[in-house]
Amino acid sequence: MPATLNPRRPTPGAPRPYHFPDFTRTTLANGLTVWAVPVPSAAVVNIHLLVDAGASSEDEPHGGLAALTAQLLVTGTQRLDASAFAEATERLGIEVSSESSWDSARAAFQALPEHTDEGLALLAEMVRQPRFDPGEFDRLKAERLADILQARADPGRLADEMFIRHLFDAATPYRRLSAGTPETVTGLTLDDVRSFHATHWAPGTANLIVAGPLDADTVLRVAERHLADWSGTGPGHRVFEPRAAGERRVVLVDRPGSVQTEIRVGQLGINRRSERYFPAMVLGALLGGVFGSRLNLRLREELGYTYGARAGFDARRAVGPFSAAAAVQTDVTADAMREMVELLTRVRDTAPPESELHEVRDYLVGVFPLRFETTGGVAMAIEPLAIHGLPDDYWHTYRQRLEAVGADDVLAAARDLLHPDQFLILGVGDASQVQAAVEATGLGPLQAAPSD
Amino acid sequence: MPEVPIQRHLLENGLRVILSPDDSAPIVAVNLWYDVGSKHERPGRTGFAHLFEHMMFQGSEHVAKGEHFALIQQAGGTLNASTWLDRTNYFETLPSHELELGLWLESDRLASLLPAMTQEKLDNQREVVKNERRFSVDNQPYGSWDERIQAHLFPEGHTYHHSTIGSMEDLNAASLEDIGDFFATYYAPNNAVLTVAGDFEPETAIEMVRRHFGPIPANASLPPPPNMSIAPHIGRELREVVPDRVPLPRVYLAYRMPVFGTDAFDDLSVASDLLGTGRASRLYRTLVREQQLAQDVSVFPFPVVGGASMFTLWATARQGVGHEQLEAALLAEIDRLAGEGPSGEELERVRNLHAAAVESSMERIAERADRLSMYACLFDEPGQINSELSRYWEVDAGRVRAAMDDTLRPDNRLVLTYVPAEAPADNQEAA
Repeated sequence: MPATLNPRRPTPGAPRPYHFPDFTRTTLANGLTVWAVPVPSAAVVNIHLLVDAGASSEDEPHGGLAALTAQLLVTGTQRLDASAFAEATERLGIEVSSESSWDSARAAFQALPEHTDEGLALLAEMVRQPRFDPGEFDRLKAERLADILQARADPGRLADEMFIRHLFDAATPYRRLSAGTPETVTGLTLDDVRSFHATHWAPGTANLIVAGPLDADTVLRVAERHLADWSGTGPGHRVFEPRAAGERRVVLVDRPGSVQTEIRVGQLGINRRSERYFPAMVLGALLGGVFGSRLNLRLREELGYTYGARAGFDARRAVGPFSAAAAVQTDVTADAMREMVELLTRVRDTAPPESELHEVRDYLVGVFPLRFETTGGVAMAIEPLAIHGLPDDYWHTYRQRLEAVGADDVLAAARDLLHPDQFLILGVGDASQVQAAVEATGLGPLQAAPSD
Repeated sequence: MPEVPIQRHLLENGLRVILSPDDSAPIVAVNLWYDVGSKHERPGRTGFAHLFEHMMFQGSEHVAKGEHFALIQQAGGTLNASTWLDRTNYFETLPSHELELGLWLESDRLASLLPAMTQEKLDNQREVVKNERRFSVDNQPYGSWDERIQAHLFPEGHTYHHSTIGSMEDLNAASLEDIGDFFATYYAPNNAVLTVAGDFEPETAIEMVRRHFGPIPANASLPPPPNMSIAPHIGRELREVVPDRVPLPRVYLAYRMPVFGTDAFDDLSVASDLLGTGRASRLYRTLVREQQLAQDVSVFPFPVVGGASMFTLWATARQGVGHEQLEAALLAEIDRLAGEGPSGEELERVRNLHAAAVESSMERIAERADRLSMYACLFDEPGQINSELSRYWEVDAGRVRAAMDDTLRPDNRLVLTYVPAEAPADNQEAA
């Protein structure tokens, strides 16, 4: 066997400094905030229009209205029907997207820089003069209903949906998918869409992010040309305080014939403006955010139970879920649940060793320039600033704030944020094979739940 | 699009090295393609090339189990590997001052994997891979589609007949001895391409590469490539209906097609975009929007090089639409495009979409490195990265029609249909 000449890890060279691109932020007279992020070396431009018209802006009987409204925008304008609009954009090499999450709606596209002006003209037309064709509405609504059924046939997506359903109480909107349920989507009408659009799709609190090889003056000029005479201010989003549906409990969703069980363990987490955000990021990564995380090392690299385990906080305007997830072979379901709960519980006992903390924190700090390699990544990075009002120097101070997270901070975050007596432990799998063993673990009161 | 710079080096041990400097961000990509994939597996050992890839992360003489991932991530890097029919690739993207770490880790496992191998590690990763199969195939709606398409399009004995993930039985049979044989046979510098792309000084980088990889001996007796020759057409229509736990039927059509790297492959790439890329594509416009027979459509050729490739498309039926009706509509649209050919506007559309997609993916230095390795490994021509767009743009309506005529014909197609195994009661309630 040939031995390498170099038995030791090489010494790194001198790091080259990297800074997040400088950007400008200008608010037009109609309230629209324009973020220009010049990236001179970029080959493409990314344009994101964020509107305060996410699922937090709809009321519960209309669950899914924000998503359907956003989706319907790409099916044409008053001037161009669905086919003509698709052809007009795609002929420029542009695929326009329009979608919504809980916190925001986003209409966006990527283009070669020379198509910026034409592309933004079409995006503005789409947002301001949508066609809202009845046939397209019926089609997208039917597709959405079918997609919900498709999602429930996929064990991972079913587990995600059932986890939030059982995690949050009945009054918390987050207990269903932002795109709605079959019950709520079935009731939506085209008039609901028209009215939601007229009310919420307005520039008053909207943000336009442009990242690419364009200087700030050019960006502002193009933005003004197509969006300065857009007017209106929406009512914004609802404010609510998410609550848990119960204390420590185990929920089994039967999926007969499954050869794996999709496990989710978690509880309520943090909101995006939480003071614990940075320690929570490190804690999530240490538990399940990197290959060498505790969950992945134990469940995959030691026990071989799964292809991979992960964990993390989903921080939104309001408190979102913390969850740990793994798909494990059926016959180890109970043991895997016990292992996951134990790891999530033990992290509250002692501060992590410095070596482990270093591994996780150095990754989060060091990977910084890789995250912003693409103009799409840069545009995405501006979104939390626009949506959550994070300070302009957020990315400039980001690495220092991560580096400041010490072992004691991680321990404090674990003790503050993780409460094993509140854990929801959920499995989607073959109940006939796993129920007895899960019950025998004594992890908590067990409830069998339907899969719809 | 600016040319991707390419410097080629050949080490004495046969390692092909591609350097592609670009200092626009302080990051660097290291990418290795080994000319070994599931097509090199012997009977009874399907899935082995991929299982072996997992073992490459289990440590080597100077690197402990788990340390490869830990060192790269601690340095702020990302990494992974993948196995496919023709090849296995290993890659990491790092802050540029950590380039040597990536080279050292890659060279250490190529020089000295076997001393670190144990039965315990093999058993552990065997279980991980079996769970990967359960996750992506056995417990997944429509999850067996690619396995079935390969099995139908390539006869037993052709090594594209089996899937890369392999069978549970063969995974169970894999031994440490297999690991030793496979490593000694295929994991040699003269069976690999190493690409370094991003922020580095070429003189420094090639010196590092020579220092770390130079002492690793070549395999003087690399086996000849497997015989992949196969008739260009199946010769008859094949059909299979699979009952599965799915709410909606889905129709897959698959055809033998010319391999990646040929003009005809480019022609059919254009045809696939005309049919299925974007909302103005033929299948989306007619089947999804106008006739409302399909919930979604997808079309793609597989870029593989062994004898024949696969032109594949699928459509999921809208609720209440039968798979027979969907299949007939799919075939009608394919025939219509093959018959009349694309208009000038349609060609302009897919060319501009393609150009934007290439520009977008090439923003990532890791993607550039992977394509350089691919062209070098498959064709010994890394420069093909710079002619991708022009090859695509040269395809005209006549070439599209001719290639579709020759490939997308009834005696060369598989119709693979998934149907709901039973009507689940809860679906009826929701409908």
